Amino acid sequence: MASRYDRAITVFSPDGHLFQVEYAQEAVKKGSTAVGIRGTDIVVLGVEKKSVAKLQDERTVRKICALDDHVCMAFAGLTADARVVIKRARVECQSHKLTVEDPVTVEYITRFIATLKQKYTQSNGRRPFGISALIVGFDDDGIPRLYQTDPSGTYHAWKANAIGRSAKTVQEFLEKNYTEDAIANDNEAIKLAIRALLEVVQSGGKNVELAIIRRNQPLKMFSAKEIELQVAEIEKEKEEAEKKKSKKTT
Amino acid sequence: MAATFFGEVVKAPCRAGTEDQEEEEDERRETAEDREVRRQLARKREVRLFRRQTKTSLEVSLLEKYPCSKFIIAIGNNAVAFLSSFVMNSGVWEEVGCAKLWNEWCRTTDTVHLSPTDAFCVFYHLKSNPSVLLCQCSCYVAEDQQYQWLDKVFGSCPRKNMQVTVLTCRHVTDYKTAESTSSLHSPFLKALKTENFKEPPCCSLLEQPNIVHDLPAAVLSYCQVWKIPAILYLCYTDVMKLDLITVGAFKPVLSSRSLKGLVKNIPQSTEILKKLMTTNEIQSNIYT
Repeated sequence: MASRYDRAITVFSPDGHLFQVEYAQEAVKKGSTAVGIRGTDIVVLGVEKKSVAKLQDERTVRKICALDDHVCMAFAGLTADARVVIKRARVECQSHKLTVEDPVTVEYITRFIATLKQKYTQSNGRRPFGISALIVGFDDDGIPRLYQTDPSGTYHAWKANAIGRSAKTVQEFLEKNYTEDAIANDNEAIKLAIRALLEVVQSGGKNVELAIIRRNQPLKMFSAKEIELQVAEIEKEKEEAEKKKSKKTT
Repeated sequence: MAATFFGEVVKAPCRAGTEDQEEEEDERRETAEDREVRRQLARKREVRLFRRQTKTSLEVSLLEKYPCSKFIIAIGNNAVAFLSSFVMNSGVWEEVGCAKLWNEWCRTTDTVHLSPTDAFCVFYHLKSNPSVLLCQCSCYVAEDQQYQWLDKVFGSCPRKNMQVTVLTCRHVTDYKTAESTSSLHSPFLKALKTENFKEPPCCSLLEQPNIVHDLPAAVLSYCQVWKIPAILYLCYTDVMKLDLITVGAFKPVLSSRSLKGLVKNIPQSTEILKKLMTTNEIQSNIYT
């Protein structure tokens, strides 16, 4: 039945599906995992770095991009679609600043991206954007925000979420481990993001990229060494927890 | 003949059947050239079973030459990676045969000189226990080649006192269920067995109306007809290329009777699997 209703974006199937939009969500699952965590005074974005070919310049393969000084996003899915969406969002951020003399709120720019995506699910001759995005930042009121958009053009606010390949595994991990203690301070929130990614990343810490925004501070990308230190700390804590467990049983 | 509104005369097909029909039949009759093309195509698509070390082809079917009590078949790259890292790392496995075939899905156009890196089927037996046979099949076996493959491997009169286990993967979008696919926790394992397979499977059985396709279906049907106990473990995944989590989804099969005695070193297996992942990574910049 699907094959009769999945060729044109503007056609509903009899049971109400828009198959092209659902297929676009499958394209998102082909991208590597991205995780976003909203802490008390920090927002964290972690992504699984795609392995780069030997002769390829690593700087051109970025999953985390700044949209403005106080907002950044990570995406999963079609690279080229992401480039187009990011460019439109960046232009909108500056246009907003010039027009109303205030930087965009995280919700505003998320709604802009989501509306753009929705337009492409209702136009003839175009296909939906094959990306999901995690948008993080701080508003003027100092409150941290995390939003997620998907190819259908919906957006929701989250405390923590993951997109891309194996997102379900990471989401389950976050549901179990996202507690008030886990985000009690900035370092704990960063460790939670790395631990969530390590559940699914295939070759450990060296394939993880991390970015944070602290209140009133610009975006900070972690260097490979800083991530290594965090991973080493996490492994140490894991070992200690296991030792305690084995002591309890004996 | 018929005349159109504008006065032009066109040849219209006649349903009554006239002398024109004989001309058409002549055209449809096969020429010698057609027969030759068909013969060449059949030769190109032949499934050949041979020993790589001696380059000699097997005169009898594989299971006639190497009778076994356990036959484990991995079809597809994730199933092959699972057997390579979890089963083949313990014990010494000797290659006993190789099936070479060509079809439109093959990446190479040279059908004679397939290099060792080309995907095809390799058969091994355990040196310490030659009644355990293993097949790593990473090529696609087309519908017209499946019968030949079964004939060359199982033969026309197979033994019934053996157990066949097949491992393969399928994309989760092929899985028919009343739930929405976004709520499915993939990868997940489903089993389908023949009537004579009496052991309990390591996971839940495949529900209707789902069906099995390609070579795994051919093997199961063959085993059902010949009353051989056989079970297929089918992993539904959303990542069809080589993936650590998909391969990990086969782990429950390690507790089955066929594989239990064969698996010894699980931590080492995970290391071997990680190495396989890095060597097989294909660069693609479409998805990030």
